[in-house]
Amino acid sequence: MRFHWFAEVTYPDLPSDYRERYRSAWVTPPARLADPQKVGETYRMFIRLMQLADQVGFDGLTVNEHHQTVIAMTPSPNLLAASLATSTRNAAITIVGNSLALYNPPTRVAEEYAYLDCVSGGRLAAGFVLGTPMDSVFAYGMPPIEVRARFEEARQLILRAWSEPEPFVFNGKYNKLRYVNIWPRPIQKRIPIWVPGGGGSVETWDLVNEHDYCYGHLSFSGLYSSKPLVDAFWEYIDARGGNLNPHRMAFTQVVCLANTEAEAEREYYEAVRYFHRNSAPGNFGNPPGYTTIRSMKASAAQVSLGRSKLTPEDRIRASRGEMGFWEYDEKGYIIAGPPPRVRQRLRELITDLRIGQLIATPHVGNLREEVAAENTRLFGHEVAPYLRDLWADQPDYWTPEASQKLVAQNAPVVRGSDPRSAARKGATAKQAGSSAT
Amino acid sequence: MKMEKKTVGRLDIRLWSGGTGAPLLYLHGFEHHPGDAAFLNRLAENHLVCAPEHPGFGTSTPLEEYYDIIDVALHYRRLIESWHQGAVDVIGHSLGGMFAAELAVISPHSVRRLVLVDAYGLWLHEHPLPDPFALAPRDLERAKWSDPGKAPMPEPSAFEAPGDADALAIFRAQNLGTATKFMWPIPDRGLNRRLPYIEAPTLIIHGAADGLIPAVYAEAFAHLIPKARVAVIRNAGHLPMLEAEDEFVLTVNDFLA
Repeated sequence: MRFHWFAEVTYPDLPSDYRERYRSAWVTPPARLADPQKVGETYRMFIRLMQLADQVGFDGLTVNEHHQTVIAMTPSPNLLAASLATSTRNAAITIVGNSLALYNPPTRVAEEYAYLDCVSGGRLAAGFVLGTPMDSVFAYGMPPIEVRARFEEARQLILRAWSEPEPFVFNGKYNKLRYVNIWPRPIQKRIPIWVPGGGGSVETWDLVNEHDYCYGHLSFSGLYSSKPLVDAFWEYIDARGGNLNPHRMAFTQVVCLANTEAEAEREYYEAVRYFHRNSAPGNFGNPPGYTTIRSMKASAAQVSLGRSKLTPEDRIRASRGEMGFWEYDEKGYIIAGPPPRVRQRLRELITDLRIGQLIATPHVGNLREEVAAENTRLFGHEVAPYLRDLWADQPDYWTPEASQKLVAQNAPVVRGSDPRSAARKGATAKQAGSSAT
Repeated sequence: MKMEKKTVGRLDIRLWSGGTGAPLLYLHGFEHHPGDAAFLNRLAENHLVCAPEHPGFGTSTPLEEYYDIIDVALHYRRLIESWHQGAVDVIGHSLGGMFAAELAVISPHSVRRLVLVDAYGLWLHEHPLPDPFALAPRDLERAKWSDPGKAPMPEPSAFEAPGDADALAIFRAQNLGTATKFMWPIPDRGLNRRLPYIEAPTLIIHGAADGLIPAVYAEAFAHLIPKARVAVIRNAGHLPMLEAEDEFVLTVNDFLA
């Protein structure tokens, strides 16, 4: 069981009526609302938080790519990853990922990922994504009907650029390169590849199934919202005789740890509402052609998709910030409270959805740094070690070997057991976690 | 009009045809083929009308088989050659106007007279077009029609399963997704450089109240095409053949007579 630290790098100081006045958090948010000094402070805060996550035993530090949005100011996740790669020691750098269709030529991704793998000592997990419609289609002007074909061509080019020993010619439909011969090459001979989605496109499922990539359902709406899609994914893989190892599945979950329930509500409620109120895609969420007809038909045919415990009204209220704090918790959007409660609910989530890579989200919206830092510490010391027994019998091919070893040596373990003596005996994460409750 | 399935080169398409008289090719707009629309039947009273569905639209072969504007122009050249010996009259509406203009450029011997109706294909910096793919449905209706309250309901369409919401969503995604290939992010694939090559006498018809393509675009087309004149239709938006059917048919017949 792996735990990654992730948060959307959200602008923290939007006007309280942002949603009503500007409707979309994406593509067209007025730039005048952001103070670049404050943006810089926000970046530095996230770097500090992720450095802390590295120290308290997280398996991975996760960054992602979005454009022109108030909720994720990381147009190049590789820049943030570079800051982390040289200032952290143990955790994987999980990039989820680069929007391959947007790089021209896509060998840029092969080069930057290779740089990151080298500079981090082989700790890179390389994410390939299509990008949301808001990113790839609206912000970067890609015809929606071309995004997937460009992604696929770029993927093939990048894999060859990493592995071909000699310069080669690439004559693609969208990319024509006479001399492909990138410097540097990655340390890892087989970089773990993650292809997270969220919309349930069957083309993505086919891709991850065929190549045994790590899939990911990256949502911010939790178990009940996502369960129909995640179940459909596993059913799809199972029906095709694919790999059911939980470690090939990642999932995001907002976590709000505190010493008491009252403290959790006091510290996190406003930040949770801030995030949900200010993440609406407006009219930019579903341009024609982005989802293929095949995927539209497959979605309509998936029986499990009708089984959500959330009503359409629930989703609307959640997105408007109209739920109470514990209603957000009850409906799965967040998992909040003291460590024992959070452990229990995460255990249910992880086993119910069959997740081996939990992308915990200890910062959300405009949360204060002190709260996010305490959340991170509590997660590293009081939650993660108690859940490491999960899936311990299954190998993890989707987290870099180097970071697996380092984290196993250095991460906190269950209180009462002695981490240093365990490390000296060469304990693995599996052994360290086997006494968890 | 009679619908049939036809193979053109490697592409299977649907095609509506009927009437007698001089051959007339009608190329539809970016949302959908108008099916057995009244205006097509009116044109068929004195023309041999052929109204194919674009590849990638409806149930015609999906777009993967062809992918550039030149492929579209060559597809229509081949369709004309398989249908009629010699030049034909061509009407192109909206996205079909972009296709018709490219056809007239690349294959002047195929096009006798050309009619462009509220055509896409140009971009005027001073008059930016709205993004039809990001408009809320209600705003799209407002932009399309001179008077949304009097818009034909239902709009004539090649959609075959009225009442089936899922099927309609797929039909629209199929059509509009294909249209993005030529209209996204800006419906300019270099036509402004090529319009001066058009040899056919050309009529530019434009709805005065077109909220998707302002009427100033009609002047821009006429300015770039050597033998062109403009006919503005009042009380019509992006679909003058539906909102002002009589005037549209009269204007076309006049020009093609």
